[in-house]
Amino acid sequence: MKYEEAMKKLETIVSDVEEGKLDIDVISEKLKEAQELIKFCKDKLYQTDREIQELLSDGSKEM
Amino acid sequence: MKTLTLFELNNMVREVLETSFNHTFWVQAEISACQTNATGHCYMELIQKDPSNGSIIARAKANLWRANYQRLKPYFERETGQRLAAGLNVLVEVGVSFHEAYGYALVIQNIDPTYTMGDMARRRKEILARLAADGVIDLNRELPMSRLPQRVAVISSATAAGYGDFCNQLKHNQYGFRFDITLYPAMMQGDRVEESVIAAMNSIASRRDDFDVVVIIRGGGSTSDLSCFDSYGLALNVANFPLPVITGIGHERDDTVIDVVSYRRVKTPTAAAEYLISLLLDTAMQLDGLSDRLVAAVSSRMEDEKHRIAMLSQRLPSLFSILGIRQEQKMQSLLERAVSSVRSRISDGQYSCGRLGLRLENGVRSMLLAQRHRIELAEGRANAASPQRILRQGYSMTTSAGHLVRNVGSLHEGDMIVVHFADGTAEGTVKNVNLKD
Repeated sequence: MKYEEAMKKLETIVSDVEEGKLDIDVISEKLKEAQELIKFCKDKLYQTDREIQELLSDGSKEM
Repeated sequence: MKTLTLFELNNMVREVLETSFNHTFWVQAEISACQTNATGHCYMELIQKDPSNGSIIARAKANLWRANYQRLKPYFERETGQRLAAGLNVLVEVGVSFHEAYGYALVIQNIDPTYTMGDMARRRKEILARLAADGVIDLNRELPMSRLPQRVAVISSATAAGYGDFCNQLKHNQYGFRFDITLYPAMMQGDRVEESVIAAMNSIASRRDDFDVVVIIRGGGSTSDLSCFDSYGLALNVANFPLPVITGIGHERDDTVIDVVSYRRVKTPTAAAEYLISLLLDTAMQLDGLSDRLVAAVSSRMEDEKHRIAMLSQRLPSLFSILGIRQEQKMQSLLERAVSSVRSRISDGQYSCGRLGLRLENGVRSMLLAQRHRIELAEGRANAASPQRILRQGYSMTTSAGHLVRNVGSLHEGDMIVVHFADGTAEGTVKNVNLKD
């Protein structure tokens, strides 16, 4: 999935919840989906710990 | 025939030239080469081109001796933001010199930076006008910027301090954003800039799906020659490039042509990195905003539901209590009806009981009366049959051993008898018993 796509899905869920379009029955399911989307987006945005560790060790080699 | 040595001839030429050209001239020319040596002198070559075909129609060496160079260089660079370098058009005040060993050369005494600035501005204006006519000036700026400009193609010289700054800034950004940087090395100064940068751009374009953004950076060094970025060919490439191009080629004063057509122009490589980080920060904040909104929306939705339930459950008791009250009222009235009906039954009962009692009483009373009457009658009859009354009429009555003697046969000779009279009794002994036949 592309980031843009994930963001669009996320935006849709958020505004659906805000506008009260979602039934209580599905709200926890949607919340879970939204949190997965957030995690997906954050993974794209941020370096993982492993990558950071590699960068830091590269940095120390350079010094 | 008199012969001359080369030196003698050259010396004669020198004398003629220096006598004939015994003052200075302001000359317009293009610098085609420029270098300084260890002694601090600056050696240039000035040319003039035929505007119609670009061929060189005049050429001269020009020397800028150390003392003048040290004075003019900073002045020129400060005024124009431009290093004395090949490709520049200059207006210089020169003296004509001739040296027996080195030949004809101009000696630069002074330089007018306003001419160069005007010339550069005019060239930029011409190029921009041409780009405007092509309709491409805003093309790159109108491209959509990825929300995650993380895959960065960099055009720079690999050894430039600016490139190192740029990479450090991105890799060690305080937010921990991820960036992938690919370097496309290119010449960033000199007359091969255009060709070399365009070649790098072509390489990037062939892998355009692997990148989000292109950054052209250079510098870190002092003022450098930027006129090579005032190039129509380079500007056309940037304008038409399929990815947003960020320029950070380091000039405080004027924008070069590629700065004008690029997606975004920043002053330094570090600023280019900061710009990319700021784009990711926007995206991160947008994501955080969405996630906050999500939490708020879900919580408020749940609150609403709780409220709804609370309202319903509040209404329920009152609904029930209305029902209850009605039931109670119904019960009450039923009870009252029951009570009153019982009460009336009871009073009915009491009434009939009373009547029964009365009837009983009356019955008993009349019965008693009847009995009394019968007793009185019986008494009357009893009185009429009393033995006293018969005795008083002259009759007597005999008893033996307490019993009334009703016939003579029950008596025996010698039995004691008592004869009762109205006024007393007489005792006697039976002497004879005579039965009648």
